[in-house]
Amino acid sequence: MADPVIRVQGAGIRFKRNRRSRRSFKDLFAGRKRRARANEFWALRDVSFDVRQGEAIGVVGRNGQGKSTLLKLVAEVILPDEGSVSVHGGVAPLIEITGGFVDDLTVRENVFLTAGLHGMTKAEITARFDEIIEFAEIGDFLDTPYKHLSSGMKVRIAFAVISRLEEPIILVDEVLAVGDKGFREKCYQRIEELLAGGRTLFFVSHNEKDLRRFCTRGLYLDKGALVLDSSIDDVLERYNTDYGI
Amino acid sequence: MSAIDVVRPQRSAIERYRRSLWLLTVRDLRVRYSTSALGYFWSILDPLVMAGIYWFVFTQVFHRSVGNEPYIVFLLSALLPWMWFNGAVSDSTRAYIREAKLIRSTKIPRTIWVVRLVLSKGIEFIASIPVLALFAIVTGAALNWEAVYFLLAIVMQALLTVGVGLIVAPLVIFFRDLERATKLALRFLFYASPIIYGVTDLPKSLHVLASFNPLVGILSMYRAAFFPDQLDLLTIAIGGGVTLVILAVGILIFTRTERAVLKEI
Repeated sequence: MADPVIRVQGAGIRFKRNRRSRRSFKDLFAGRKRRARANEFWALRDVSFDVRQGEAIGVVGRNGQGKSTLLKLVAEVILPDEGSVSVHGGVAPLIEITGGFVDDLTVRENVFLTAGLHGMTKAEITARFDEIIEFAEIGDFLDTPYKHLSSGMKVRIAFAVISRLEEPIILVDEVLAVGDKGFREKCYQRIEELLAGGRTLFFVSHNEKDLRRFCTRGLYLDKGALVLDSSIDDVLERYNTDYGI
Repeated sequence: MSAIDVVRPQRSAIERYRRSLWLLTVRDLRVRYSTSALGYFWSILDPLVMAGIYWFVFTQVFHRSVGNEPYIVFLLSALLPWMWFNGAVSDSTRAYIREAKLIRSTKIPRTIWVVRLVLSKGIEFIASIPVLALFAIVTGAALNWEAVYFLLAIVMQALLTVGVGLIVAPLVIFFRDLERATKLALRFLFYASPIIYGVTDLPKSLHVLASFNPLVGILSMYRAAFFPDQLDLLTIAIGGGVTLVILAVGILIFTRTERAVLKEI
């Protein structure tokens, strides 16, 4: 068996319940080991699992049960308070995909900037540039400042860039709920293409159909704990019995 | 399990850091210059106007007893580096807030958010040096061999500014008042540092105390290019020590608060 590409061991993270709660200097510098205070809650706790290369994992759970937090931990944009998350290989995070785009720069400059920040060289971006633009169907707006694009176009170009990153791990967080039907189908086809290419997928969704379409394995999160780690069909079945529709 | 069709060579961490830093710095400068008509001119207009005001007040209105001749060169040689320090530190109060969306979606090393501010303001500072040279030529100020200290001053100032930025940037997230407090502290520091006056104008009793402000040593090194009497090695040594302490404290605070900052933004 190959080494896992993602290894999550006893990971936990806590948040403040009340944003305005008093904060002292002591609080800020206290080590990560200190116990949770009354006004804090664990968004995730004791979550452990391994992911091997090429697996397609769907994360299932109700709202506020830690799905997106888990995805962010895997993307390493937040850090766990206990346990560890280690990710081998690059990650293409389809989370807040439009985040890196700058309003005042043109589409062309933005493509180079965002892809560059995710670790692509200029030559690699140039080689894929036409492909990205074609995918986003945005050819006429190359030199338009990003802020003048419609919201649909913004998401299209962002998806086109991130999905061409050629990273071995892809994280998808319900971004595809936006965009028209045709483009969504195109995005799905792109994800399938990437899966066929041996990529590892981490997928958060409420849509059962989508989950079954892409994923083979499921993680069921409830109240911040990993309740079930099994095949996607088992996980969905359990989820439906718990919160029957 | 099929193999990945494209395997990209993994670049080293330092190489990635350098590339991300450069991309963001260039982006900063590009945004600044693509959205304003005067562009580059703004980065020199501000110190020029200030220098003009001080020159007028001190040489035309009052009969100045501080600083050296030619006073405009004396002023600019400290004002331009001050603009770098001032700009980078006040920008670093918003380092996280302005880029929150980007920080939430990419995992590049977080110190970049501060370092790039120091770098882009530093580039503007370098770009403003020709203005100083121009005034030096026009007024006939002589350049001395002490100009080599200019390089040391740049290095020391970069370290100091990064250190202060690393302290300010995360703390502002938790204590919003710090944003205004920083502005106030900077204004105080402007007069507490030898900018409109020289190190040698300070009373003897304050001399050692002033050395603990690292800007005193740094600005005296810039000035030594035209006014070698401003150079004071003890001041520079003490300032250098303080700079390293501030940098160490900055790194400590930054790493200890990183987790909490990421949750907060």
